[in-house]
Amino acid sequence: MTAGWPSGVGLGWRPELAGLFDELPGLRFTEVIAESLASSGAPPAPLAALRERGVTVIPHGVRLSLGGAEPLEPARIDFLARCAESLEAPLVSEHIAFVRAGGIEAGHLLPVPRTRDMVDLLVRNIRQVRASLPVPLALEPIAALFDWPDDELDEADFLTEIVDRTDALLLLDVANAYANARNRGDDPTVLLDRLPLERIGYVHVAGGSEHEGLYHDTHTDPTPHEVLDLVRALCGRRPAPGSMLERDGGYPPKAELYAELDAIAAAAGHPRITGTAHP
Amino acid sequence: MTDCQDLAAKQAALVAALVAGAPVPDGFDRRRVAAARQALLRKRAGEVARAWPVLAAECEWPGWFTEWAADRSPRGGLRDGFDFARWLRSMGRLPDVAAAELATREALWWYDGQAPPRRRRLPALRQGGGFWILQALGRAHRIRGWQAG
Repeated sequence: MTAGWPSGVGLGWRPELAGLFDELPGLRFTEVIAESLASSGAPPAPLAALRERGVTVIPHGVRLSLGGAEPLEPARIDFLARCAESLEAPLVSEHIAFVRAGGIEAGHLLPVPRTRDMVDLLVRNIRQVRASLPVPLALEPIAALFDWPDDELDEADFLTEIVDRTDALLLLDVANAYANARNRGDDPTVLLDRLPLERIGYVHVAGGSEHEGLYHDTHTDPTPHEVLDLVRALCGRRPAPGSMLERDGGYPPKAELYAELDAIAAAAGHPRITGTAHP
Repeated sequence: MTDCQDLAAKQAALVAALVAGAPVPDGFDRRRVAAARQALLRKRAGEVARAWPVLAAECEWPGWFTEWAADRSPRGGLRDGFDFARWLRSMGRLPDVAAAELATREALWWYDGQAPPRRRRLPALRQGGGFWILQALGRAHRIRGWQAG
């Protein structure tokens, strides 16, 4: 049976955090890095146990390179489809980014030029992926430390056109939106005013820190209050979407992580998932 | 040149600048690309440290690694660690405990530095860091030291 749509507060699955998931009684959804799963798409035992508990597990791809000039690799698309089937996931997510070029792997998500040609290329690639997936696809705009000199569109127009033309969903990473706006000197709520918020499938929340005048979306620092404010601003504009914390290292003591999850619940207006009482 | 070839060339030049020591393509903000380059190196060092905990603990992480990796394109945590540990060994700079970790990996994996590492199917015996490492049925055993210290 397909799991429920992502709702409430979520926490990204990481093997290092496995023990904590048993102690989150209210957890309704999580996300797993698709490429960390076996080639069959089958989840490791602790994640399978979460599925049995009724927790939705969304496969989150990081290596498809949807915005790459080179053709998509069909094996990667088939793998995402297998992950969705194996996890009985209601959707799959990936990034508006490229991760390799000229035979070199960048090792992380890189920004694409926001041009009309890139919109066309992304629309073609997204349609190709959607044709092979058994479930909807949600697209995550990334945090980028730099922009291309070729840019013709701003982020809101670029994303809106892609979503309009593909019927894909948005995975809005509020921390990425904050990071980009801060590094460009923009107001992040302007993006909220201009994006098709009704197309949001779910939301990412994460922490970061400033180095040498640039804000880095590290996922290893606590979520700053500005990001929580943006969650609050988003949830004032539409019904609160499922909101998931991403933590990728620098793991804090349990009490701090729970406080962060509770702060996201408060900002979004979701019930707490930590089982701790309201103060 | 078609639009797609043009984009492919631009993306390749950017990736080469970010992870393989190539110059930053014209028009990009050099300071920001340099910051992204450092962030990618730190992330890469973290991935290698997860796959090679002893190497990371013994080799002034991430400084030695990021210096070595700055102009070498990434090949994933396992392979980057292999290449870096072997490079340190060839320079006589690999500490003993990290040499034992490398010998253990070499007993478990077949890796010629060119093709991706593959799990060995046959038993293998390696030495490093004062230990003999015997791999049989996919498990590595430290069987004895051949020298003191």
